[in-house]
Amino acid sequence: MSTLAKRNRNLIYPALAWFFIFFILPLSIIFIYSFTTDYLFAGKQVTFTLGNFLNIFQKKHYLVILLRSLKISLITTIFSIIFSYPIAYFLAKRTRFDKALIIMLMIPFWINYLIRIFAWKLILSENGIINQMLAGLHIIQEPLKMLYSQTAVILGLIYTYTPMMVLPLYATILKIDDSLVEAARDLGASPVQAFFDVTFKLSFTGIFAGTLLVFIPALGSFAIPIVLGGTDSVMIGNMIENQFYHVGDWNFGSAFTISLAVLSIVLVLFYSKIFGIESIYRNREF
Amino acid sequence: MKENRGNIFLLIYTALFFIYMFVPIILIFIFAWNKGEGYNFPLQGATWQWFIELFRDGMAIKAIKNSIIIAVVSATISTLLGTALTFGIIKGISRYRVAFLTLLLLPVLMPSLTIAISALVFFRTISIPLGIPVVILSHVSISMSYVFLIMMGRIEGISLDIQEAAVDLGATWSQSFKDVIFPVLLPAMIAGWLFSFMISWNEFIVTYFLIGTEVTLPVYIFSQLRFGISPKVNVISVLITVFTLIIILILYFSTSIYKKIRAKII
Repeated sequence: MSTLAKRNRNLIYPALAWFFIFFILPLSIIFIYSFTTDYLFAGKQVTFTLGNFLNIFQKKHYLVILLRSLKISLITTIFSIIFSYPIAYFLAKRTRFDKALIIMLMIPFWINYLIRIFAWKLILSENGIINQMLAGLHIIQEPLKMLYSQTAVILGLIYTYTPMMVLPLYATILKIDDSLVEAARDLGASPVQAFFDVTFKLSFTGIFAGTLLVFIPALGSFAIPIVLGGTDSVMIGNMIENQFYHVGDWNFGSAFTISLAVLSIVLVLFYSKIFGIESIYRNREF
Repeated sequence: MKENRGNIFLLIYTALFFIYMFVPIILIFIFAWNKGEGYNFPLQGATWQWFIELFRDGMAIKAIKNSIIIAVVSATISTLLGTALTFGIIKGISRYRVAFLTLLLLPVLMPSLTIAISALVFFRTISIPLGIPVVILSHVSISMSYVFLIMMGRIEGISLDIQEAAVDLGATWSQSFKDVIFPVLLPAMIAGWLFSFMISWNEFIVTYFLIGTEVTLPVYIFSQLRFGISPKVNVISVLITVFTLIIILILYFSTSIYKKIRAKII
């Protein structure tokens, strides 16, 4: 390496210092919290324990919330794949206006997500748009109760995160060489076979990248269950807030937070092992 | 023939999807100007009443002011740090590239909630009071990663030869950076700044946990959503949306102008 490169290298230190102090160090502290018994640096004796993590699985209440969050995020992810695949395919292969449409797709994404959730509250509430329409058409007598349910939370999550699935899928499908599909067709595959054996298989990278961008934030969602959900839709995020603001059990709250962090890190590492970390960068369109 | 039918299906499907994405936002816009507190059809005529009420609401004004302060300061810090970091990694380090990429991707890919909680515990543990400065510190560590994402592709496109040429011609390292590299990076830095601004401006979860007794726009909207929905929220939404569109347009044009400049240089 030249001396020039060595001087350039010095540029990384301020940012790295910042990153370690305000990102890595805080994570390490809650990591310690999650394995200990009391507040740190408060003059109290703290001991090592696995109890905080065992607690998650031993108390039925917590386990229910954990499994429910996984279920809600999984349903959200599956529906976002189903919804976005045809759109991503259309944008990548069937239109010339893809760039403009992608920018349009990003507009709702940039509008604060709380506002978009608010819109769903207007649509789903008892005197909301859907109920007014159905009542106006004399289809229903009593307003439907849609708000404050798991379904409403899932609808809100799908609405919020589907664009995150469309983008990597679009980027992946765009790169698939059409001549591969033609070759499959020439060799006797039906259009459907050619699609599933070539296009669909080659778009796995995009599906997985999109899954990272949908599943992880959905699992950590916090505001959507509060605004759209009811008592049956409390998720991990709300549990964690409760531990820190109302219960005051930092150790247990940290254990829950660390579980969430570890799960997302594992998913990211798994992805980078299979497809290479650089492809995440390439798949992100802003 | 079959191809055509497939195309029409895809076209309709995509159109429906776009309607699905935009109808909620259009509804918000309509009710920002609608008379009456409720959200009922038929509409009751237009009014500016909610705009006036918003600007009389001291809390909302304070929220807007705080949001702007936090976004401007954190975007500036993260653009400077992030640009230096990216240039240093791409043009100074040949090994451990993957480790750096993975590490820097974490704030982007981890749920914001884990970042929020760890920052909360960290600042409480070292007894730093919550509030705007603490929010800025945490916003920077998030948006720095986004600056890195944006700058990486562009810095890879720059050849080190121009910096070497400057040094060969007698420039010191800092001169070569200031006079040769910095002007090439500036348009991308502006894009990175706007992007960080938007991240911070929209950020809710980390802010919610770290803001203490202060208020920012997303926190204000959240409290409104929890305890009833005044049409003032629609007005804020309209203002944010218009503001966002302006930023997107600037971002878009600064990118295309940047591409033109780069095409001329290389």
